[in-house]
Amino acid sequence: MRALISDKFIIVVVAIVLVATFAVGMGVVIPKVLANIYPVPEQPFVFPHQTHADVAALDCQFCHRNADQTNAATVPAVEQCVFCHKIITGGDGTITAQVRDAWDTGQPITWARVHRLPDTVRFWHEPHIRVLSDLMSAEQGRDIIPSEVCATCHGDVASVKQVEQVRTLKMADCVECHRAKNAPTDCSTCHY
Amino acid sequence: MVRASERDSKWSMVVDIDRCSGCQACVIACHAENNIKLPDEEMYETGRTQNWIRIDRYWEGEFPDVKARFLPVFCQHCGNAPCEPVCPVYATYHSLDGLNIQVYNRCVGTRFCANNDPYNVRFFNWWEPIWPDIMRNYLNPDVTVRSKGIMEKCTMCVHRIRRAERTADRDGREINDGELMPACAQACPTGSLVFGDLNDDNSKVSHMVEDERAYRLLESLGTGPNVVYLKKVDPEYKGEAVKHHG
Repeated sequence: MRALISDKFIIVVVAIVLVATFAVGMGVVIPKVLANIYPVPEQPFVFPHQTHADVAALDCQFCHRNADQTNAATVPAVEQCVFCHKIITGGDGTITAQVRDAWDTGQPITWARVHRLPDTVRFWHEPHIRVLSDLMSAEQGRDIIPSEVCATCHGDVASVKQVEQVRTLKMADCVECHRAKNAPTDCSTCHY
Repeated sequence: MVRASERDSKWSMVVDIDRCSGCQACVIACHAENNIKLPDEEMYETGRTQNWIRIDRYWEGEFPDVKARFLPVFCQHCGNAPCEPVCPVYATYHSLDGLNIQVYNRCVGTRFCANNDPYNVRFFNWWEPIWPDIMRNYLNPDVTVRSKGIMEKCTMCVHRIRRAERTADRDGREINDGELMPACAQACPTGSLVFGDLNDDNSKVSHMVEDERAYRLLESLGTGPNVVYLKKVDPEYKGEAVKHHG
């Protein structure tokens, strides 16, 4: 008696399904890898940038205090969160309770880094913010505050709940902009 | 190539041999500042230690009239550097502010530069750097940790130069003479190492290079070193000294 569906047919179907899945998967993964954009890392708890930057309308450097001062923008210490959240309770209060717990127990919040450059690159926030705000002010004929400049590389942080990398941040990306704006292209500007 | 800073600087170092006591504080400071690998016994045996700055010691005279002579040697940042044209990938080049730059991420480790370097100041990374666990957090975040297979050398603390330039740009002022110095010069207890801008006529180094004691290491090779040495002053000196290295 012959089987209704032959073994050969099943093997062919399974093979086609596998190949198709693989192809679609690669189609999604490869462009991201080429663009140097990696999955958003999992944070210890959700930090709603939207609430802080859009609803509360805080400047970026209210928390990232050193962005317009020196190289690292710096992620704030728990102390700075508690500065507001000692009193202000956001949402249903579960997240702010975690912040207060961290403050009471003296444990830092282990934020995962979203934007990571290779170890051989020394990126400075301050000159970028200074020069870009000057250029944008001249272009638009009005005063530009540092927070408006950040979106150039970090995207519109105020409109997203979870920040993710939006630019490739590869060397070609940097150099293209540096050439266009007549910024330093000496290797030792960034690599040392 | 647009230079890293709008300033027209030519960074240089003057080494006053008369002041050097051979204490090695500069060597220690350099190791700490630049994340230089800690040497072990095997590295010494194979001659593969890394010291971006070293103190060469010479004995002068016969016992009991023996004098120790010290000579701090580091990358001379030559104006006509022999190491630069031999690099097949342009990993080492001369920046417009007078520094011989080593770009770690370009280097492919041919070691041609070290072969062509008359001062023995370039070092190859034969091993991945390993630090004792307790020292992991002591690494300087401003300086790249060099991995296995690439060349490294004295950068004249270019990270400090860039930091000083950017801080001065932010505050809208000039860099003051003496405000900026590499780790070795900062650690030198006798002030033997002096760092500054040769293009600034009022800087300390500009005056020192005009001293009659000034000379450059292996000047006859035509490398045009950017580092200037000031001769030892010795009233008892009689004629050519017999020098034994080591």
